[in-house]
Amino acid sequence: MTKHIKENSEFLVEHFFRNEYGKMVAVISKYVDIETAEDIAQDTLLTAVEYWQHNGIPVNPQAWLYTTAKNKSLNRLRKNKFEREYQNQVKEEDLDTLEFTDQLIGDEQLRIMLACCHPAISEETQVTLILKILCGFSISEIASAFYTSNEAINKRLARGRDKLKKNGLNLERTHNLNSNQEVILKTIYLLFNEGYFPARENQVVRKEFCSEAIRLTEILVASEKLKPKNNAHALLALMCLNCSRFEARINNVNEIIEMERQDRTLWNQELLNKGLRHLNEAQKNDSISKYLILASISANHGIAQKYEHTNWSEILALYDALLTLENSAIVKLNRLVAYAKVKGSKAAISKLLKLKGLATNHLYYSTLAALYKDISDHPEAIKYYEKAISLVSNNRDKAFLTTKLNAVVPISNSHV
Amino acid sequence: MKMSVEQQQEHVQKVGAYIKGLFEAGKMKAAQPLEMEGAIISQEQGKFIDGPFNETKEVISGYYHIVADDMDEAIEIGKADPRFEDGDWRLEVRPIMKVDGIN
Repeated sequence: MTKHIKENSEFLVEHFFRNEYGKMVAVISKYVDIETAEDIAQDTLLTAVEYWQHNGIPVNPQAWLYTTAKNKSLNRLRKNKFEREYQNQVKEEDLDTLEFTDQLIGDEQLRIMLACCHPAISEETQVTLILKILCGFSISEIASAFYTSNEAINKRLARGRDKLKKNGLNLERTHNLNSNQEVILKTIYLLFNEGYFPARENQVVRKEFCSEAIRLTEILVASEKLKPKNNAHALLALMCLNCSRFEARINNVNEIIEMERQDRTLWNQELLNKGLRHLNEAQKNDSISKYLILASISANHGIAQKYEHTNWSEILALYDALLTLENSAIVKLNRLVAYAKVKGSKAAISKLLKLKGLATNHLYYSTLAALYKDISDHPEAIKYYEKAISLVSNNRDKAFLTTKLNAVVPISNSHV
Repeated sequence: MKMSVEQQQEHVQKVGAYIKGLFEAGKMKAAQPLEMEGAIISQEQGKFIDGPFNETKEVISGYYHIVADDMDEAIEIGKADPRFEDGDWRLEVRPIMKVDGIN
C-alpha cells in the first residue's frame, strides 16, 4: 500500500501537481496578488502531500486541491481584512462562492499568459515567468534547463514580477487578448524550442517544456475568447508533429538517430494525427504564418512511410513559400537540403558554397559534408566534417559528427 | 481517432495546396498578420537560436541544437534594450519548504 502510494505520489508530483499549481495560481491571483497566490498554491500542494500520504489519494484530487486552495485564500483575505476593509470584503464574497470550472481555469491561465507576455518584459523573462507561474517548475529546474544559476533565474523573476506589478495583471478586455495573441504564441514557441532538445543533462525537464508548450496552446485553442485561432492551431500542429517523432530520435543508449535511420514504428501516430487535425483548422481566412509552413513541412515528413517516400519536391515548394516570409540564411540552408534531394547534391553544393552568414554554424558545414559524401568527394567531406566538429562544444554532438567523419573514410583500399 | 494513410495524405495535400495557392498568387506577405512580421524564427548575429527545422536538424544531423553553449547568453543577443534592464530589481528571499519535485 505504501509503495503504491509512493509511486502514485511521484507521478503526481511530477505532472499533476505541477500543472495544478499553475491553474491554482491563475485563479487565485484574481483575489490576491500573484506572489501570495503562488505561496498559497505551494502551501496547498504541501498540505496535499502530507495529507494524502496518510489518508490516501482522494477520489477527486483536483477538487480536493481547489477546495483547500480556496479555503487558504479566504483565510488570507480575512487576515488582511482590517487593512483594506471594503476591498477584501468584496473579494471574499466572490471567492466564497467561486467554482473552479474548466472555463474559468482556462480563462485565468490565459490572463496570466497575456500578462507575462507584456512587451515591457524581455523575451527570456517572459518565458521564465510562464515556466514558474503557469507551469509550476522550480527555480532549479528552470536554471538547469537554461544552463544558468538559481541566482540568475531569481534575478530574472524578480525583474519580471516588478514589471507585472507595474503593468497590472488585470486584463479582462477580450480585444487585448486577440491583438496580443502573437506575442503569446511567440513566447510559447520559444518555450517549445527550449524543450526540443535531445538528451542533455536535464532531458526530462526539457521534454516537459514541450508538453507544457502544447498544453498552453491547447488552452488558447479551447478558449471561447480567442479570435481568430488559426495561428494558434498552426503552432499547435507544428509542436505535435515534431513531438510525434521524439521516441525515435534517441536510441536506448542515448545516441542521436537522424531521420533516415529512425524506426518509424516508434513515431506516435496519435500525436501525428492530432497535428494533422490542427493543421486543417489552421487554414482559414487566407491567412498564413511561418508556423503553418513549418508544420506542413513536418507533416510531409510525418506521413512518409519510409524515408525514401518523402515528398521532397513538396517540401522544397514549402520552403520557397517560407522564404517570402523570412529570407534568412537558416531558412535557405534548410531549403537546400530539400533542394539537394530534388535537384541533386552537386547543384545544392554549388548554391551552399555561395550562401553567406553561416560561417560559425556547424549545421552549415555538416550539411556540406553530407552532400560531398553523397557525391563521393571524400576529401571535401572530411574537411567539412572536421570544420563542423571544431564548432561544436558538447560531447554528444561531437560524437555524432565524429561517427559521420569516420564513416567517410573508405574502410579498405584493397582490391580483389 | 485513427486516420488512414489516405486521410493523412489528404490533410497534407490540402494544406500544401493552401500554402502554395497563396504563394503563387503573391499573397504571402499580405496574408501574414502584421504583428508576426517581426517574429523571426531564427536569428543571425554570429550566434544562432534555431527553430525546429527538420532538414538540417533532423535529416542531416538528427538533432536540435543551439550553437551558443550558454543558452542564456544566446537569448541575450540583440536584447540589449536599456528599457529591460532597469537594474533596480529586488531579490526576495522567502522561507519556502523544500519538497522534492515541487521546489
